[in-house]
Amino acid sequence: MPRLLPPAAWSPAARVAASLAILLYLATVIVPPLAGPAPSSDLAMRLVQPLRPLVGGLYLGHGYRFFAPDPGPGHAIRWTMRLPDGSSRSGILPDPDVDRPRLLYHRRFMIAEKIAGLVPPPDAPEEVRREGKPQWQPLVMGVAGQLLRRHGGVEVDLMMIEFDLPTPEDFLAGKSAPDGETPLGTFALSAPPASNRP
Amino acid sequence: MSRRHRPPHTDRAGRQSDIIPGPWAGGTAVSTPSGEGGSGAVATRDDEASGQGGAGWCVSWANAWRSFWFTPADPLPLAVVRIIAGTMLAWSCCVWLMDVDAFFGPSGWLRDGDVWRMNDQPWQWSWFFAARSPTAIRVLTLITLVAGVCLAVGLATPVAAAVSLVGFISAANRTPLTVFGFDDALGMLLIPLAVGPSGAVLSLDRRLGLLPAAATPSVAANIALRLIQVHLCIVYFFSGIAKLLGVSWWEGTALWGAAANSRYRTLDITWLARHPLLVNALTLGTLFWEVSYPALVWPRLTRRLAIAMAILVHAGIGAAMGMKEFAITMIAANLAFVPADNWRALWTRLRSRG
Repeated sequence: MPRLLPPAAWSPAARVAASLAILLYLATVIVPPLAGPAPSSDLAMRLVQPLRPLVGGLYLGHGYRFFAPDPGPGHAIRWTMRLPDGSSRSGILPDPDVDRPRLLYHRRFMIAEKIAGLVPPPDAPEEVRREGKPQWQPLVMGVAGQLLRRHGGVEVDLMMIEFDLPTPEDFLAGKSAPDGETPLGTFALSAPPASNRP
Repeated sequence: MSRRHRPPHTDRAGRQSDIIPGPWAGGTAVSTPSGEGGSGAVATRDDEASGQGGAGWCVSWANAWRSFWFTPADPLPLAVVRIIAGTMLAWSCCVWLMDVDAFFGPSGWLRDGDVWRMNDQPWQWSWFFAARSPTAIRVLTLITLVAGVCLAVGLATPVAAAVSLVGFISAANRTPLTVFGFDDALGMLLIPLAVGPSGAVLSLDRRLGLLPAAATPSVAANIALRLIQVHLCIVYFFSGIAKLLGVSWWEGTALWGAAANSRYRTLDITWLARHPLLVNALTLGTLFWEVSYPALVWPRLTRRLAIAMAILVHAGIGAAMGMKEFAITMIAANLAFVPADNWRALWTRLRSRG
């Protein structure tokens, strides 16, 4: 281990400048989780506005809601693809048997999880599903395009799967509910290009 | 012994104390792990301020602030964090390279025209936005990989830390559809590593004689460590209070929700279904630990308990839910609280055994 030399102190001016920078950084760390995800206050939403350049520029816009408020069910996107020769192929995103190492699996797992967070369940009111579609459909189109290019497909049908999360009692009794399924649509490579920013 | 000359960590009766009150308690010192001299003791002498009303109280706060942030610290804990963070970034780059066009390409999982839907443009910049060819995307990812390796081994560390941060932010901002807690945690480390002298020790820079012969305790090292420590407390604080909104955390069943989720599972712990009280205890223990961490990690008396719990919880998540990288990165952040003397003692023990 190296020997330590006596420290050098900072001047008052340097300390003041550094203190201001530290305060700004701490605000950039604290305000984003106050401002989102919902629920959040109007005050936090206003406070975050002037901080957006720093929050975005330093990649600090996190909510830190790990497994909160409750650990929920897992999701995946099941796909069925029609190939140019007329045959079909199917798979699931992410696929724990294919997506290795585990970090690759987790990154692809996030695709399904984040889109699932935007897609209303099939039993949601028609108005909710209609209003939600513009939020998730462009993202699903990107996933569909990537799958079609990857596997050389002509058309792909996507389905969001919500895996059953049994209670301990049901698990011990061997009971399991069917996994939830939400159709995401059928897509071809000739689908409209990525939507432009309004 | 006069009060003014009483050593830090000694109470008014002259006893050594593990928890020393901060200025809000009118005390004399705050025990905080800065890495300086092992104990990380920071003296906040507000004797002169006592009995002077609001002005004295403000002086106490100013002194506490100065002591907390501007006491020179041993850069050793920062170097330990640097090695782990650099390794994690390099590993993440390897995984990105396995599917690099899908992560960062214009027609990837998230098309470049759709990135704005998931993050705050134009602030969430990325150098991948300018990369229009597969070659450019690979080169930029490789630059980040090399920077991560250099950061881990401490070669040209200041440059490596800066490029690592730029490359990491670029990657995370380009592919918000595939980031998760691991990326949040890695960003939390990379920013302070770019600020502080993380290559001052345990680095090739030192081995190759690119630095002065001896490492120097520095204010910059202290600031970097403090940024990690405070940021980590903020992470646990928000994660903890967000859980208080969840019924399953109050019912003590949340841990089952994680165990039963087949998409996360890498270790089958569904046997927990037969032990509901154990699930309750583990859930409530996790909740109490996370909520109380920002308070318990500072006093020396409870610091080891808070950090030990952090290691247990994150190791459990890594083993049972397959999020090893997230676990390692969060544990690395916790290591910022381990004073330099503890690392030196460990090093001495290992060398004596070797």
